[in-house]
Amino acid sequence: MKKLLILFLIPNLIFAELLLEITKGSDNPYRIAIIPFASDSNVSNTIIDIIKDDLLRSGEFYVLDENMLLSNPQSSNDIKPDEWKLLNIDFIVLGKITDEDASSVKATYEIYDVNRSTKIRASTVFGIPGKLRQLSHYISDGIYESITGMKGISTTKILYVNEILSNKDTKYILYVADADGSNEQELLKSSEPIISPAWSPDSKKVAYVSFETGMAKVFIQDISTGNREMVLKNDYQISSPAWSPDGKYLSLTLFQDGNAEIYILNLITKNLTRLTKHYSIDTESSWSPKGTKIMFTSGRSGSPQLYEIDLTKFNTKPDRITFEGNYNAKGSYLPNNEGIIFVHRSRDEFQIALKYFNENFIRPLTESKLDESPSVSPNGNVIIYAITDEKSGMIAGVTLSGATFVLPSTYGKVREPAWSGFLR
Amino acid sequence: MKSNKKLLISFSLVGLFLASCSSVQVTEEAVYEDSIQSIEVTSNRTTESVPSESRAVVANATVYFEFDKYNLSTRSIQTLQSISDLMLENTAIDITLAGHADERGTREYNLALGQRRAESVADYLVLKGISRSRLTIKSYGEEMPAVSGSNERSWGRNRRVEIN
Repeated sequence: MKKLLILFLIPNLIFAELLLEITKGSDNPYRIAIIPFASDSNVSNTIIDIIKDDLLRSGEFYVLDENMLLSNPQSSNDIKPDEWKLLNIDFIVLGKITDEDASSVKATYEIYDVNRSTKIRASTVFGIPGKLRQLSHYISDGIYESITGMKGISTTKILYVNEILSNKDTKYILYVADADGSNEQELLKSSEPIISPAWSPDSKKVAYVSFETGMAKVFIQDISTGNREMVLKNDYQISSPAWSPDGKYLSLTLFQDGNAEIYILNLITKNLTRLTKHYSIDTESSWSPKGTKIMFTSGRSGSPQLYEIDLTKFNTKPDRITFEGNYNAKGSYLPNNEGIIFVHRSRDEFQIALKYFNENFIRPLTESKLDESPSVSPNGNVIIYAITDEKSGMIAGVTLSGATFVLPSTYGKVREPAWSGFLR
Repeated sequence: MKSNKKLLISFSLVGLFLASCSSVQVTEEAVYEDSIQSIEVTSNRTTESVPSESRAVVANATVYFEFDKYNLSTRSIQTLQSISDLMLENTAIDITLAGHADERGTREYNLALGQRRAESVADYLVLKGISRSRLTIKSYGEEMPAVSGSNERSWGRNRRVEIN
């Protein structure tokens, strides 16, 4: 706890402070109004601003400007639906914040459906004083799930790597932050590169590749204790960790014979099972949502393409699943298993693309030149990825509904984003 | 990280006044408290020993590759010929082959590509009669560019194997 405090006290300057910037919203958003929250202290604006950003980032919401409100109802009973229909508002959020005691802040809020003239949600969240941002994210997720019927991701977290360049002392830092880029905290600081961070399915541990020994090695680190261990202590390179959905296995790329091949490590018995055997590169494994298939990048056709192995069938040959273009790599499955997200080269640009299994074409999702490391939100609605340009690296996001946002870095290069599971 | 304080009550009230069903979702929950531990590691990479005179000749050799390729060019082979000659004459010289890639494409694929490039160099030297035990092979992928910049010129200089 003391360490945590020190981290908070260090000036923001040295952190990769990520500030949200929404670049484009979806065409047909839910239109909502948030009534200023009644509160003991003057915290309503802070909370509403955070909620607003959370909802806008999803790309599915339009939030009415506060100065356009025609009235200020204090409970659902005060709402005159006709007034809100005039403003074309679909849902109204109202609530209040009360200081319970020194260790607790209480937020109560309601959501009113204007078109059906009825209250659809009444919720209470107990928050931690001084952590209004967290409390706000909980309210955002409540609003999101009541209106869209899907789980919200404002309370989830992301991992990313920050490279801080200096003449002789370049630092690599693995950060964990809230999904909006705020509340960032260091997990690992090293003088050598860190790549490929991956959350365990319960979001309590992370696996990553660190070059601290002079070559690529995979480590698992417990987020709350800081305990870490090298996954395999062999004398060759090990890379590209991916957890099975049940958290019992880790798929890895081993360079045992000098060539990248994929293995599955049983984390309990430490048994290794070889999955691929080909003289070309096989790497970047990822598990299907039910853990029955593994997708990976292979150079076996002469250029990087995505392949899939069915783990339920004994000794089957991998199926090639991408055919468009000469570079398709780093695939991951959508949580509903309806398609895959990957890096696709189009002409001379590298972009993030989506392919649904029931379609025979790919959908490009991004449009800059050097996009990489796509990671899908646990509700499957948003993809974050890394953008590189001449001087910087930053994290950007795109929703399946077409909205976009960036989390620009104000210091150093930010990359390798990885989205946690649901934490709430 | 799921809160053990979490309490989630959810129930529905069947609509009393409306013909159609309406429901209110009622929930109560608590924000979980983060616990995050930060650690710092420093590299335990061994610093290179002071090079002998002949060692210095080998140390600066770099061979370059085409995009997504790991085969050796004519020019690379010429460079490697002089290295194998030197190593055959000076049997005390052991070398490290560090493979690299340019920034384009994915980091893990580039790590594997850098490895393949270093292996190509190693395979050539072994064919020339150098014992594999004298070679340390590793890859940094795109993580350690020789030069910065997102253009053909920089990329060409970053797709390399450094021989030390």
